[in-house]
Amino acid sequence: MSEKPKADLIVEKLREIMETSATEELDWSNYGPQSTIESLGLDSLTILDLLYDVEQELGVHLEAKDIVSVGNIGEMASLLIDRGA
Amino acid sequence: MPDRSSSYPASPRRVVVTGMGIACALGIEETVVWQNLMAGKSGIGHLRAFDTASYKIHIGAEVPEGLIKGKLKELRRRPIDRALDLAVVVAWDALTQARLIARKPPWSEQDVAVLYGTGVGSAQSHFNAFSTFFEKGPRSLRPTTVPRCMYNAISAGVSMQFKLTGSNYVVVSACNSAANAMGTAFRMIRDGYAEKVLCGGSDGFFDPFFFGVWNNIGVLSPIEDPAKACRPFAEDRRGTVLGEGAGALVMETLQGATARGADIRGEILGYGESSDASHITRPSVEGQAKAIRMALDDAGLQPGEIALINAHGTATHSNDATESKSVRTALGSAADRIPVMANKSYFGHALGASGILETITTLLALERGMAPPNLNLENPDLACNLNLIGNKPTSIDRGPAMKNSFGFGGANGVLIVGPTT
Repeated sequence: MSEKPKADLIVEKLREIMETSATEELDWSNYGPQSTIESLGLDSLTILDLLYDVEQELGVHLEAKDIVSVGNIGEMASLLIDRGA
Repeated sequence: MPDRSSSYPASPRRVVVTGMGIACALGIEETVVWQNLMAGKSGIGHLRAFDTASYKIHIGAEVPEGLIKGKLKELRRRPIDRALDLAVVVAWDALTQARLIARKPPWSEQDVAVLYGTGVGSAQSHFNAFSTFFEKGPRSLRPTTVPRCMYNAISAGVSMQFKLTGSNYVVVSACNSAANAMGTAFRMIRDGYAEKVLCGGSDGFFDPFFFGVWNNIGVLSPIEDPAKACRPFAEDRRGTVLGEGAGALVMETLQGATARGADIRGEILGYGESSDASHITRPSVEGQAKAIRMALDDAGLQPGEIALINAHGTATHSNDATESKSVRTALGSAADRIPVMANKSYFGHALGASGILETITTLLALERGMAPPNLNLENPDLACNLNLIGNKPTSIDRGPAMKNSFGFGGANGVLIVGPTT
């Protein structure tokens, strides 16, 4: 049985983190690497909390501008792996 | 009877209640709360929120598990802070009952003000932030600590959730907070500053820190049996019991409510407030009696016209004795016959929210012409010389009721509410 690629694990972990940090129920029906931050309905304050929770959970510090620069969750996962997650 | 015409030259506007929402240990639906009251069933129990093994006290009145989370899920919200979560749920019920919003979104903006009272505000968020700070240091504080911890997170959250664009703020005056919020809302509408106000109170303090500080001030009952622990006006009373909760009322003008065909649940007739200006925790007869007299004058009523008193009745030795003297001082011999109820033996002391919980039970009693029994009053304290309701439900005359709220800091607030006419 092959292990899931690390990027997929990070994508799943991000969902787990977002579920915890969001103050409202988000729409996960089409969640995947292609999902954009906007499509999930995260507002700017929730994104700040997301960055905080990512650092607490994965030990990687991201800035708000990093979120702006990534197109979707898959790219965010790649960035996190590049930074040592 | 005082002449109000000089104070209110433009003829005072009558203020009515068109929606109510409640969450307390007896339930989150007013019919369930009322059934439990009439059945003499206390909601106080052993605390589940956290392990109280190292605390002096192990009991409290918690909203039955899962109810708030379920309601939040319907609103597509996640729990944020207990006081805010409770406030949102009761607001939803009050606004729906008043038919200001449909049960399900989308909701449009409307000019309704939001005023909540709270004793300890966003206590849960404060506890979480302090814990992080002391464990991991200042750089580890969550970025949203400010909006989570600010006291007006409660009114702001309600305002945003339901798109209410009147003013939004929180009143903080310990156990008198909700009374101040309701009194202010009443005056805003009566005096023409607002047409509709969603007002009430919310407090959620069952976290290891806030429960701890209340353990150590010496006012909580050490009686281990939850149903017997809170004994307002009893000779063998030993102290109060904390109970989380929230409540909300929609207040508006009688004219406006009638024009839009809203169901009227009761009327706000008068309000009085004062400060003891004497001791930070010990209540004073003069301060309380002053607020009672002001409320009666504001309503244009004589003491003998009051049909029911819902006491602050915390079940501490000092408070119940003082309140009894205050009522006697302000009402004189009329106090011989006015039935007095005290609800904290059912759902505990909700601190800043206690005034709204007990205003709602008062309105329910007026609607039904019945008052629930007082629990644990087998031996009334002779020093509490009032017409205390016994261990059976009692029918009450049709007429206005008085709700007392008194808080640490010497803050007193008295509301006079009437049945629908």
